[in-house]
Amino acid sequence: MTIRVALIGNPNVGKSVIFNALTGGRAHVGNWPGKTVEKKEGICRYKGERIEVVDLPGTYSLTAHSIDELIARDYIVKEKPDVVIDIVDASNLERNLYLTLQLLELEANVVVALNKFDVAESLGYEIDVQELSRILGVPVVPTVATEGKGLRELLEAVVESAKGRKRVITVSYGKAAEELISKIEKAILKDRGLSSRYPTRWLAIKILEGDEEVLKEVERSPYKSEILEIIQ
Amino acid sequence: MEIPLAFLPENKEAKVIEVKGGRGLVRRLSELGFTPGARVKVLLSNSPGPVLVDVRGSRLGLGRGLLMKIIVDTEVNS
Repeated sequence: MTIRVALIGNPNVGKSVIFNALTGGRAHVGNWPGKTVEKKEGICRYKGERIEVVDLPGTYSLTAHSIDELIARDYIVKEKPDVVIDIVDASNLERNLYLTLQLLELEANVVVALNKFDVAESLGYEIDVQELSRILGVPVVPTVATEGKGLRELLEAVVESAKGRKRVITVSYGKAAEELISKIEKAILKDRGLSSRYPTRWLAIKILEGDEEVLKEVERSPYKSEILEIIQ
Repeated sequence: MEIPLAFLPENKEAKVIEVKGGRGLVRRLSELGFTPGARVKVLLSNSPGPVLVDVRGSRLGLGRGLLMKIIVDTEVNS
């Protein structure tokens, strides 16, 4: 079995260090079709599994602002990797968890790598890894990539996570927004094509946010007037 | 004292009060870390062109026009 894994995270969290540690010297640089921003691909083997690893551009969010964000987002939405490793800088949790939340909203199969765990500890941070994992509803693995610490555990979590998705955690945006979200979701569900390609809740949130790329998709839907009517 | 981030001297810490801009700009800057209460510091601002800013442990290069829209408080501990 081949497991397709994407690496994502803020810039400068150690993504490439983890990528190189996982894939060794076999990494090569490739280009996205028609895009100038590059992704890296590599292969690693763990317990007889062939794991294809793709390193996505570093990004702070998954909105449609810049080409690198869009590439990262398109890869997760359209290529649907089996597992997304979200590399989080443990010494800067608050900022990093924003991207984590966006990945969860995209209904990606997330495994969080709490990298630079040694730096966080030296700063005196005490992170309750189990509690974080419980709140997020996904596996959380502390790592120190530069020393190769935690990588085995990370691969273990990836292989385990690839076997089944069980995450159900969602973040509530309050009563008023939630009513709109569920209305939009209902309208989206009528369009089987659209609702099979994207998570409906994510689409509904992005429509409310006025996300240009998502609105373009809605424009092509036969139910577009019904969907857009809700946000008028 | 509340001033635009563009006027903050190098290496002095300040606290973000608000972003004066449209919905899109406010969201974009908050994604980059400019949320109320976030600590910011201008690292390099000695030539025309983008200014190097540290916000929440990330270094970003931002234009001066944009920095005029980010209002900060120089009294960090207030």
